[in-house]
Amino acid sequence: MENQLKENTQWMGARLERKEDLRLVTGQGKYLADIVLPGMLHAVFVRSEYAHAKILGIDTSAALETPGVVAVLTGDDFKTDVKSMRQPVLLPNLPAVYPEYFALATDKVKYHGDPIAVVIARDKYTAEDAAELVIVDYEELPVILDAEAALEPGAPQVHDDQPGNEMFAMTFTGGATEEEQRQNEAEVEAIFKAADVVVSNRFRVHRTGITPMEPRGVLCEWTMADGLTAWITTQRPHIDRLALIDILDVPGEKVRVIAPRDQGGGFGVKAPFFRENVVIAHAARKLGKPVRWIESRYESLMSVGQERDQVNTMDVAATKDGKLLAVRNRGIANNGTGQTGVYWGFVMPFLGQVEMPNVYTWEKGDVKLRVASTNKACLTPSRAFGHFPTRFAVERSVDMVARRCGLEPSDVRRKNMIPKLPYTTVTGEYYDSGDFLKVWDNLLTNIDLPAFRREQAALREQGRYIGIGFACGAELSGVASELLVPMENQPGYGAATVRVDPRGKVMIYGGDAPGGQGHETTVAQVVASTFGIDPKDSIVTTGDTGATPFGAGTIGARAGSYFVSAVHKACADLKEKITHVLSHDLDIRATVEEFAFINGEVIYLRDPSKKKTFREIVERIIMFPVNLPEGEVGGLEATAFFEAAKPMICFNGDFCIVEVDINTGEFKIKRWVTSEDVGNVINQNIVDGQMHGAIVQGLSNAVYEEFIYNEQGQQMTADFENYKLATAADVPDIELTYASTPCVHTPLGTRGIGEGRPSSVPGALSNAICDALAPFGVEITELPLRPSSLWAKIKAARA
Amino acid sequence: MQTVTITVNGEAFKEAVPERLLLVDFLRERLALTGTHVSCTYEGVCGACTVHLDGDAVKSCLILAVQADGHEVTTVEGLAKGEELSALQKAFREEHGLQCGFCTPGILMNMTDFLKHNPNPTDDEIRMGLIGNLCRCTGYVHIVRAVRTAAKMLAASAA
Repeated sequence: MENQLKENTQWMGARLERKEDLRLVTGQGKYLADIVLPGMLHAVFVRSEYAHAKILGIDTSAALETPGVVAVLTGDDFKTDVKSMRQPVLLPNLPAVYPEYFALATDKVKYHGDPIAVVIARDKYTAEDAAELVIVDYEELPVILDAEAALEPGAPQVHDDQPGNEMFAMTFTGGATEEEQRQNEAEVEAIFKAADVVVSNRFRVHRTGITPMEPRGVLCEWTMADGLTAWITTQRPHIDRLALIDILDVPGEKVRVIAPRDQGGGFGVKAPFFRENVVIAHAARKLGKPVRWIESRYESLMSVGQERDQVNTMDVAATKDGKLLAVRNRGIANNGTGQTGVYWGFVMPFLGQVEMPNVYTWEKGDVKLRVASTNKACLTPSRAFGHFPTRFAVERSVDMVARRCGLEPSDVRRKNMIPKLPYTTVTGEYYDSGDFLKVWDNLLTNIDLPAFRREQAALREQGRYIGIGFACGAELSGVASELLVPMENQPGYGAATVRVDPRGKVMIYGGDAPGGQGHETTVAQVVASTFGIDPKDSIVTTGDTGATPFGAGTIGARAGSYFVSAVHKACADLKEKITHVLSHDLDIRATVEEFAFINGEVIYLRDPSKKKTFREIVERIIMFPVNLPEGEVGGLEATAFFEAAKPMICFNGDFCIVEVDINTGEFKIKRWVTSEDVGNVINQNIVDGQMHGAIVQGLSNAVYEEFIYNEQGQQMTADFENYKLATAADVPDIELTYASTPCVHTPLGTRGIGEGRPSSVPGALSNAICDALAPFGVEITELPLRPSSLWAKIKAARA
Repeated sequence: MQTVTITVNGEAFKEAVPERLLLVDFLRERLALTGTHVSCTYEGVCGACTVHLDGDAVKSCLILAVQADGHEVTTVEGLAKGEELSALQKAFREEHGLQCGFCTPGILMNMTDFLKHNPNPTDDEIRMGLIGNLCRCTGYVHIVRAVRTAAKMLAASAA
């Protein structure tokens, strides 16, 4: 790191090697499964074999007789000993019909994989064996798997306390009253009646999501004196703590949650509050011994990481010269059982409709959503939270308008792009700052489009089909309280404690819980820039509710916007104090602005001979708090909370070039190029890595991954042989370019990035394929993009 | 139970193990070498548990501890020589070839073996070499770059 020490100690934007990596490349990371407590017991769940069935009885006797088995708990233990999972802290402020449920299934099971019992044994092999011996007597019930069918009268009921299977319904446009909404619908209909061009489609996006490489896990220890310490793979330890307090009904001082320092990816999947947390915590309480559960991949793919699964019936009206006028969308989402705290599945499709209009200047919108409960696993958040399907629909629709008008899709996008920010969309989403046109124009500098069209035409003569596809997306950069309170019943502010050490080191404590995003490095760079010290002199602690200020979690790209801004604010508060004392010691009257924090020194700018090293002055304030200025006390620690004045966004444009083999339907991505507005960059490597990962996740979702249930609701893809993630050989290199605008609402001009980024991928890719196949008039309206279905479309078009 | 002697990272361990104990569990639970990870849960798909058995990359979830009896195993903990990281370890840090790091030990072990047999690989060859390792964070771009960089480092140090 020595050679990276820059003269002016300005660390912003540097491609600094990550502080996390030395331990991770040497096998010294500490993930949940690496934590072992003396006397620890191992838990294995017994899960439902049916998608919908009454539990007539559970025979645990054979399991209990197995040597080494300590206990078997079933739903009855949880119905009586702890509260239901439907606690206020886990309920969004949205008017949904929230079914009551318990940590283990009681009375009936509602999806294939529903947890019924837990076997706890002295070693995991024994627990696995004994779990096989638990005999559940089921009475099968009719299964409902399709969202639209679930909303039909007479459909089988998933939850007894949710009549009609409608979890949630909302109109996003027109106003608050039904009358205003009807009026809006009529006005939109009038636009459609008069429009030159109307494009109407039914877009279906399959069930897929972002499966982290590290499965979930919970380790709980319970002592009489201190209560519960719970290590959980989680993105939001502080929320988990509140939920455990309320569900287990224990006093708050007796619950501490720790998200391990190293977590093997989250992507939203580890953001909800899960039932297994309650089961393991309660088991530890009941048994008086530490209990650990490590999720198997089979359980994981049955239970979590499933998102998307929407049908969007979308109409777009436009003029013949490609001006977009109105969008009408009817979304239907397949929620599964909805049995997951914080999100209840439907919060993702809710936000998906909010974000649907993207960056276009629609005059009017008419947008409605219905969310149905079915006998599938509950949707869990997955990066590009909710809007992977709606972004696909709108980006495909824009291309279809372009084709109908005989225009270049990139021109139609540019023509309709919001030219100036801030802007509030037809669904009420606020876009704070940036320059969409600058990003778009930068994207187009990476391709000579007329030359590409000539090449395309020439190749078509030879029977080869290449195409170019464009898409773009505005994404949330952190989630402001203004949105997070109504959406998830949680605060959006960033929080950080900065503690300066007498040796001149800086400890930073954050309540969020990262899973690979490099917070330790990013924050160290911010602190180094602010205090003029080296990043190696910072130590970041995250995830421990016993040590960190309250934070809503590592969600929605909050780190680069909210967390680092809180860190910066805390540092700024401490600089005030440091310079106050230093002025006093130097016998000058000066404000903080008259000092430079640079190269490990604090220098009085009007007379640079007046200075102290950072270490000297902080040690003096912490260790020798005598002869201080009047009213000042010793010590150097500050906690700051940051809330931006407005919700913030980041933005990207993508294009890709593909070649399609019309005889097989196979396609190859030849180039993937992006243009990004990420605001001011803290660590360029980390930003690049976020983009690469998100784009490939989008490709993997769009082309390879699909959760498949058979007609009985059996999950057929609960292993990585059948749930296929893209490998290195399946995906292209990614060419990233940047055209950023500093964010006006953060102190460092940074934006939170990466979360929504996969959403523009399916649009760009399918637009490219359709462009390649334009001679056949092939239009893609469904994902995944499988060669077999493309081949069928090509064949039908040629017939 | 069966008594086995397995040499791990140069140290011989004589242990009584159940026949069904997987090598990955032997390493993680008996020897507390937790750098070897489990992601696909014993299906041999994800590659996170890759180690070397007598120098060859193998998935330690597909091998029983008893099958390693009398053999030499190297895990990610054994890649560095003291504080001197291997070329691949250095390259992964330089090129930001990892994010969450969960798949990384398996990739390092697989690619160490790969580079031994392919000292000057093309990007396509690296990508093909990686199909036994799943990564969810990086999109593989920086991983490919890191392997390429490591190959150059090794070539330079051999020259």
